[in-house]
Amino acid sequence: MKKKILVIDDDLNIRDYLVSLFNDNGYDACLAGDVKEGLKVAKKNKPDLITLDIEMPGEWGPRLYRQLSQDPQLKNIPVIVISGLSGHQYAVVKAVASLSKPFDRDELLKIVKETLT
Amino acid sequence: MGFDMFKKILFATSATAASDHAARVAFNIAKSYQSNLNIFHVMGVPTRGYSQVVVDVKTKEEVSVDEDYIAWVTEEIKTYYEKYLDESLKYSIDVAVGLPAREILRQAKTMKPDLILLGGTTGDEDETVYKKSLAGSTLQKVAKAANCPVLVVNRPAASFWGGLSNIVFGTDFSKTSDKAFDFAIKVAKALDCELSVFHALDITPLHTGKMLSQDEIEQQIRESLRKIRARYESRLKELKGYSMDVWEGIPFIEIVKYARDKHADLLIMAHHSRKVPSGDIRLGGNVEQVIVRAGCPVISINK
Repeated sequence: MKKKILVIDDDLNIRDYLVSLFNDNGYDACLAGDVKEGLKVAKKNKPDLITLDIEMPGEWGPRLYRQLSQDPQLKNIPVIVISGLSGHQYAVVKAVASLSKPFDRDELLKIVKETLT
Repeated sequence: MGFDMFKKILFATSATAASDHAARVAFNIAKSYQSNLNIFHVMGVPTRGYSQVVVDVKTKEEVSVDEDYIAWVTEEIKTYYEKYLDESLKYSIDVAVGLPAREILRQAKTMKPDLILLGGTTGDEDETVYKKSLAGSTLQKVAKAANCPVLVVNRPAASFWGGLSNIVFGTDFSKTSDKAFDFAIKVAKALDCELSVFHALDITPLHTGKMLSQDEIEQQIRESLRKIRARYESRLKELKGYSMDVWEGIPFIEIVKYARDKHADLLIMAHHSRKVPSGDIRLGGNVEQVIVRAGCPVISINK
């Protein structure tokens, strides 16, 4: 069974790129454009991994992480931060990785593979 | 938004990378709550007496301060923070010459801010005069003498990550802590935040004079929780959410851990250094240690 990855990013181009990248590499990717939608999709799809942007309209990514960590069913989902914001590596302390935009696709796929193995 | 607790903010900055994370907090708070933000920069320390020749805090070079130089520095600051300075922000820029702590306090005396915001170290190799002095004695002196809450963003991790919704208040049950609680509950109410009240039970032999048994520790935890309930709970009920906890250990470590566990956006604590003779102030008190280590901004309250 394919592993599910939820991509949360307000940038449509990044979102589409990540979804294609994951689908092309044997994963089942779904997407959300903001924190509210991300939480809804996470609850519905129970992804195996989430990629999370930090600065988004409305609530920011760390808020979603906080809500995930308070939900017994979602709290153990690994999160990879992908952000263009300076200092993003400090935003989610327990993220498995934090990548700067523009990111290296091979590096991302390597981290995803290691995390989901 | 009906929030008027941060109407005037004094943001003391070196306008270098060392203050970038504090800047993000300052500008985001100012924009979110329509504050008047005073961007205040201390240019340098006079080489001697009242000389107009100062050692520039950014370049460490000796420069002669005149109107042209002040105008140039002001313009530099404007350029440095260009991305934040849009029409939605009410701001002013002031520059001064002298010792950072003294000038910040002087500026605070004049403008009477609701909040002073200071940056801190970045952990990089930036060894400017400003950074060295701001990280240590400036922070202590300002926190000790300020007439308003002092918010410190010392680590990049303590920056702004999307707003204030979860506040941790650390108490030691002192009178100053009660004042800090008044402030914490006002902010939590006004911003519809959750508030977690925390007490760290100091079980270090240095404090207790002996190694406590587990029964003694648990007894003290229960007593402290009762104290928290008696002292704070009736007012906490006015909030949308609250929690009360006591953890044992080394106080400043436990507070930092608790704030991280709660995903706190803000930590509020009382500062006690006013009780200590000024010569004995050292970077080692609980608040200072929390400020240096916390993963979120820390507000220190001393009056």
